[in-house]
Amino acid sequence: MIESYRQAEDSELISASIAGDKLAFGEIMERYRRMVARTVKGMLGDSVYAEDIGQEVFIKLYNSLSDFRGEAKLSTYIQKIAINLTLNEIKRRKRFFSMFSQKGNSEMHEFEIADIETEDKRDAKELVNKALMSLEPKFRIVVAMRMLQGYSTKETAEILELPMGTVLSRLSRAQEQLKEILKNL
Amino acid sequence: MEPAELKNLIIGSLDEKADTGAISKKIEEAGASFDFSDSFSEKVAARIFNAPDAVIREIEFVKSMRFVFNRVALTGVAAIILLLISLFLAEGSFSLNSFLGIGNTYDEGIVYLLTGN
Repeated sequence: MIESYRQAEDSELISASIAGDKLAFGEIMERYRRMVARTVKGMLGDSVYAEDIGQEVFIKLYNSLSDFRGEAKLSTYIQKIAINLTLNEIKRRKRFFSMFSQKGNSEMHEFEIADIETEDKRDAKELVNKALMSLEPKFRIVVAMRMLQGYSTKETAEILELPMGTVLSRLSRAQEQLKEILKNL
Repeated sequence: MEPAELKNLIIGSLDEKADTGAISKKIEEAGASFDFSDSFSEKVAARIFNAPDAVIREIEFVKSMRFVFNRVALTGVAAIILLLISLFLAEGSFSLNSFLGIGNTYDEGIVYLLTGN
């Protein structure tokens, strides 16, 4: 039974989910949770807050499944929801911190990486987290799409709904910034 | 993976012609993999599929509150009308002084107490 869900096409799982099939939606979550985690945790840091936003992504997806027309891939559709919710969260945090902090540009960076098996892997994750969090959100998102999701420039532009030129210029500026940041890490 | 190698991969992933798929895989293998907790899917499912019960409970609560408000509001309006009538019968007007229960007569004693003159 579960095997049939694993072999099903996304479109079949969507139809079944709309009809109320919980297992079908569970399979969609299993397929895309890591992709969502890379975007959300890449942008917000590896924290419990990112977990909450991840949940919101799938709840929003479930509530909007009937609006999904299949013109784009389901992964693209989910990715866009994840990016929108993550950017909203970053804005919300900025507003919150600007009320209580003089700097106004603070973000909450909490890493929960103690459960990683080896010290090398823990260090690697910490390095990637710190590098990402040192960037402004508009640069961070293009870096996350490339470095964590492995998207090409064209795919990044499509998902972020930005012109190719803008993505290329952000990548170039992010690369310059990262060179400086990584020197000190 | 050595930190220097990882740093080169991170920077290299942003090159225009980079093989981003291969680089992201290497970065993930180095330890920078992201996933949610084991109970993630269960939590999402609970929030989605238990939501109707919560909504129904909320609607019931709002209905009850509205019923209580209507009862309290009607009783309150009746009490205010009675108060106004009794006030008018006792004082003969709706002036501020009659609301506050202060007589219209000028009390020199109060002035003396406040100013000493």
